[in-house]
Amino acid sequence: MSELLEVEGVGFRYGSRSVLREVSFAAGRGEFVAIVGVNGAGKSTLLDLISGFKESACGHVSIEGKLQREWTQRELAKRMSHLPQTTETGLPFSAGQMVAMGRYPHTDQWFESEEDHRLVHAAMVRTHSWEYRDRRFASLSGGERQRVLLAACLAQDASILLLDEPSTFLDIEAQLHCFTLLRDEAATGRLCLAVTHDLNLALTYCTRLLVLAEGMVAKDISTAAVGGDHEWLGMFSPRLRLTETPGGAPWIWYQ
Amino acid sequence: MTRPGFAARHSVAISVAVFAAAAVLLPWVGAGSIDVGRVLRREAPDYEILLQLRVSRTLLALVAGGALSLVGTLFQAMLRESLATPDTLGISAGAALGAVVVISAGGTTLFGVPATWVGALTGALLVLLLVVGGSLRRRQLSAFRLLLTGIAINSVCAAFILILSSFAGVARSFSITRWLLGSVDSTSYESLAVLAIVVACGAGLIFSQARSWNLLAVGEQWAVARGVRVGRLLGGGYLAGSVLVAGAVALTGPIGFVGLIVPHLVRRRISPDHRILMPCAFFLGGALLAGCDAIGRVVLAPAEVPAGAILALLGGPYLVWIIRGRSSEAG
Repeated sequence: MSELLEVEGVGFRYGSRSVLREVSFAAGRGEFVAIVGVNGAGKSTLLDLISGFKESACGHVSIEGKLQREWTQRELAKRMSHLPQTTETGLPFSAGQMVAMGRYPHTDQWFESEEDHRLVHAAMVRTHSWEYRDRRFASLSGGERQRVLLAACLAQDASILLLDEPSTFLDIEAQLHCFTLLRDEAATGRLCLAVTHDLNLALTYCTRLLVLAEGMVAKDISTAAVGGDHEWLGMFSPRLRLTETPGGAPWIWYQ
Repeated sequence: MTRPGFAARHSVAISVAVFAAAAVLLPWVGAGSIDVGRVLRREAPDYEILLQLRVSRTLLALVAGGALSLVGTLFQAMLRESLATPDTLGISAGAALGAVVVISAGGTTLFGVPATWVGALTGALLVLLLVVGGSLRRRQLSAFRLLLTGIAINSVCAAFILILSSFAGVARSFSITRWLLGSVDSTSYESLAVLAIVVACGAGLIFSQARSWNLLAVGEQWAVARGVRVGRLLGGGYLAGSVLVAGAVALTGPIGFVGLIVPHLVRRRISPDHRILMPCAFFLGGALLAGCDAIGRVVLAPAEVPAGAILALLGGPYLVWIIRGRSSEAG
């Protein structure tokens, strides 16, 4: 049986600069994968290749065992949502309208149905953004916007969630809430792929760590098995050390 | 507000009502007063003035104004830039140049349709190919770059129009100048009917994609990730938009600012949701141009001020106001 998502030797170059050379991995339902790597390692590009926004130069991506480019855009959107790293900030739409756009691929109805409203409401409540549903997106703070964007992804009700730095702009409490929420989503049988720079968030909440370096998956490790292996920390900085929290979980600190 | 609230739903109805009221009432406004009784008895000259002159130009203004306003809304969604309009992108200028070429060549009809239409459409499509075609191929539509290109195209077209009108005879030169001011003159009901059909089809096509325009107005990646086929949508939008602009410009001359003022006001005051915004912009844009035409008929009577001039007097300051609002928002 094929995995929900299979990435097979994909590569991408910006002009003459090769960002991803050959990335391969497979992931299934219930996994919460953290994609980590230094700046310019190609983390966001990888998400764009999986979502189909960018076309890979080589290799292929399969969703539910079918090649990504053989899906129609709409069928793909029902299965996969994407939280962008940045959006335009001067948008005229209200927070509620932004979240409701997540329902687009599911219906041809002109206006949202009761079911759509229920899902939008649920998504906004879960990300703690319901209280500012009527405010203009442009008037929200960075953290508030991020919660609205996450709610838009949840409202899309897809089995694969691609999240490009979901915790940017969030305060610590909201970061923990965001990652808890994504872990819960994965536990209900979805697949979450999150690009992040916060290794401790990744170790605490994710099930698996993909380290991108030199255009490849340099390390693919289960967070449960991370304890004895700390060689890969050197890819980020020589100053990182791996230790244990009082509860026995792995924890990274720097000198 | 995820569902069209009470106010938003009603604003579409109110816009339609304003549009209809303009169609019924504005023909009665003009330099010479018209007696209702004489019209009902079909007596000359009141009946003829109303039916042959005033009604047709009011309808023309309603249809052309609506089309320009709708296309403004469309381009603003496609480029995520509230200053993108048929004028600022140079498409109006291209249509105008095409029409002027035809006027100065003395063409009247081509294949049964007014020659200015053919000229305007050719001009608009050429500009479209030149400006947008190049950037579409690279899949990178920078609004800023397109607007700058629009400025360049506007100047080049203006230069060609000047050259053409200086070579044209006095009579033709006058008709070119008059047309360029953006005047809504009475027109034949046949041309009006053709324009109305073209606008109805084009506007219907654009409006039917309102949900997709919402997503595109947020961002291309946003739209793609939610299942919009962006390339096809953009291509269709530019094509339908240019046809509407060419149709309107051929009959009225290049009238600016409708596509700027109305969408901006509706987006701010009523709703940014294109399912509401687009119909409101269409109907209110039509009413605005018809209103400006009516004002132009009476303000310096018996002389007539072209509707385009009245609009520019309103639109210029409005543009400055938008820009000032922007810089204070940024700061």
